[in-house]
Amino acid sequence: MAELPLETEETASDLPEGLIPPEIGDDGDAEPVETLQGQVAPASYGPVVLRERYLIDPGKPIVELDTPSAKAYVVEDGRDLSSQLYGLVCTPGLPVRLNDIKALKIGHIDNILPIIDWDSIYWPALGQKTVVVVFVRPLGGRVTDKLAQKEIKINEYDMPQRVIAPLADALEKLSNMDQAYRAIRPDNLLFLDERMEEIVLGPHVTAPAGYDQPVLLEPLDRAMAQSAGRGIGDARDDIYALGVTIVLLLLGYNPVAKMKDDELLKARLEHGSYMTICGSARIPMQLIEPLRGMLADDASERWDFNEISNWLTGQKINHLKKRLPDRSETYFKFRSMKHYSAQSLAWHFAKHPNDAVMAINTEEFQIWMTRGLDEPEKAEAIYSAVHAVKFNADSYQGTDDYLVAQATAIMDPHGPIRYKGLAFMPDGYGAMLASEWIRNSNQQPAGEVLSHDICALWYDAQPKMTKELLDSQMVINQLRSVLAIRDPGYGLERVLYEGNPGISCQSPYVAKDGVVLIEHLLPALDNAANSVDTSVQPVDGHVAAFVAARFDEDIQPHLKAMASGKADTSILGTLSLLAFMQSTLRTPDVLGLSSWIGGLLGPAINAYHNRQTREELERDIPRLVRKGSLPELVNLINDPAKRQEDKEGFTACCAEWLDAEVEIRDIEDAGEERLNKAEQSGQQAAAMISIFIALTVITVLIIAEIL
Amino acid sequence: MAMSNTSEGLNWNLILGIGLVLMLLTAFSLPSLVVFSVGLLPTGVALIIDRSDQRTGTFCVGGMNLCGVFPYVMKLWTGKHTLTAAMEIISDVLSLLIMYGAAGFGWMIFLTIPPVIATFLSIIAQTRVKVLRATQQEIIVAWGPEVANAKQTDTDRDASSSNEG
Repeated sequence: MAELPLETEETASDLPEGLIPPEIGDDGDAEPVETLQGQVAPASYGPVVLRERYLIDPGKPIVELDTPSAKAYVVEDGRDLSSQLYGLVCTPGLPVRLNDIKALKIGHIDNILPIIDWDSIYWPALGQKTVVVVFVRPLGGRVTDKLAQKEIKINEYDMPQRVIAPLADALEKLSNMDQAYRAIRPDNLLFLDERMEEIVLGPHVTAPAGYDQPVLLEPLDRAMAQSAGRGIGDARDDIYALGVTIVLLLLGYNPVAKMKDDELLKARLEHGSYMTICGSARIPMQLIEPLRGMLADDASERWDFNEISNWLTGQKINHLKKRLPDRSETYFKFRSMKHYSAQSLAWHFAKHPNDAVMAINTEEFQIWMTRGLDEPEKAEAIYSAVHAVKFNADSYQGTDDYLVAQATAIMDPHGPIRYKGLAFMPDGYGAMLASEWIRNSNQQPAGEVLSHDICALWYDAQPKMTKELLDSQMVINQLRSVLAIRDPGYGLERVLYEGNPGISCQSPYVAKDGVVLIEHLLPALDNAANSVDTSVQPVDGHVAAFVAARFDEDIQPHLKAMASGKADTSILGTLSLLAFMQSTLRTPDVLGLSSWIGGLLGPAINAYHNRQTREELERDIPRLVRKGSLPELVNLINDPAKRQEDKEGFTACCAEWLDAEVEIRDIEDAGEERLNKAEQSGQQAAAMISIFIALTVITVLIIAEIL
Repeated sequence: MAMSNTSEGLNWNLILGIGLVLMLLTAFSLPSLVVFSVGLLPTGVALIIDRSDQRTGTFCVGGMNLCGVFPYVMKLWTGKHTLTAAMEIISDVLSLLIMYGAAGFGWMIFLTIPPVIATFLSIIAQTRVKVLRATQQEIIVAWGPEVANAKQTDTDRDASSSNEG
């Protein structure tokens, strides 16, 4: 195999417009590409301050510490000028591993590059805010650089104690915190000290798990997924990457460098990763067994930390049985390519779904599955799926993409979920969605994965449901339930933020403000009030979903009000939500936002019936808007006592008006009848008068006579 | 079964009552009967021509007619209670004028008071309508035209929701 020096892997591609381009190809498994050139700011930009302490100089890039998705710059600590720090400026729109950043900032782990601080700050070269992570600067530089420059040498005798032991120890500690590193590669190993004695794992938090990894460094199942969909993974994935890294460091070159990704994957699928990578290389005897164990494609057979520890301490180790991947003696030819394993064919099927459907329908395929691979049950399952598709021709379950998703899941249950060109592991759904939505502007297939329950096909195909699988299935089902609701705060936007804790809010109002934390949302909206169309509500689908996903308070009543079809209830829901946030998060006055929302309160004011109350509100609102206090605004506009009084008054006045109307109509409609009644009354009165006079006269006469 | 007091439009109870009174008067006070018979002739005429249910015309004429007759009956009762005295009264033009004039006054009351009362009541009704219209206008100014458009069911709903709230 071709042998290329390690440093040739680090080919940085310069990209325009400051954005990482969409992944190349329809399979989505292209390698991640280098980040923007625009991040390298000209020296004219002044230092950028992070948390009023760390000065990041855009004019002082550290190219040798760049990562594929972030650029490195010199950082000065304003309180400790002797400290050596550097910062990585992340790519906007690319989810960072926020939970890992927070955990490592609090608790340092030996042999992992310490994180000092982080924040979302304005980066002048990008013209927007982005996440910047400050690390301790590795004074010894990259291990691969030093190896290439022959400043150091690591042989098979140094490897166990100098590299494997410290790194495995760091990974184990990370694993104990339920985290995986997922960024172990030769060029991401650094010397922390100038004397190049302490090796540390480099930055891993600036991109989704596995995103920056070459296909070679990913275990087989995750390598077949697109870079954003490789998933969070676990310690077993790190151990595989550590194994490959050891091989590359030992050899000093990449034995498969000349192979394209597709060729490499196919070779790994057909022959196994160890055989493909190490097959033609001269691996020292003492490292063969651990490398076979660490490079095992079957994750259940792969070495764990105990095995590594046993090997490092010279204790007894379990020798891995040499086992070739399940493959057929005969091949199945698909698009001129011969396949000997179901995994290989499934991987190829997913790239060409239309041709795959034709192939699946052939008798040769069924025979090959049944006899060639000796998988009659899988062949039967695919046969049933083909028939089910014919019965559901009018629905999504009758589409070629659905059939291919089901067939590939049956053929390769450990591989990624494949649907409409997407390929992702279940725990990589969130990052895959972010990538497809934000960078490719094509979220529909990713949305269909949930709405059509494509993941269920994959779970149904699993030979055994482990705890990890059950957990991931539960997460996917929760995302599905969130997607099914169409109200504000739900839908695919909510899925995006639930699936990516480190993604910034993508609302057009605040997209350039890099809002990663909920605390930064209101100030960003306040800032946006000066530049956006304020005739629409400030809480759009993205903002509502971001708040619902990040705000640790019960906001259901607010979301329910916002979902109301009535304009007054909706704007009150929005106002009360923002006021609740300002109050809970102790956000300072937001003059712009209060002015923005104050201008939208017309329907809420008009919800009051009493004209005097309306006039009072219209008179008082500008005063509160100038104070920038949303809680006071909501207290004014949504005073329960005032609203109750208004309702009761309106009800009473409606009744009074109606009573008056009834009486008027009674009077007016009476007409002739009323005249008759009046005449009758007059006659009665006349009779009464006459009788009264008569009685009076008689009485007077009698009394006069008596007297 | 209750017996009906009327048969073919005749009130037999009334006829029997009047007959009894006439018999008693004939037996014990024939002069009074003579004066009443002649003096209350307008009332009798009114009774015949007044077809209303409540007989208000008869009461009007009768009441005033009695005012005119009663002084002469009193004169009989307190003076000579003789048929001759009775004849003198009913043959005196002035007496008859007073009796029949009083009856005419009663008829005049019957003709003039009802229209006056009707006009008065009509004015009161129109005034009430104006007051109600003004009240409605005030309500609309204070609460908006939707007050007039709100149906009773709406107001009921508002009331119930406000109670819930």
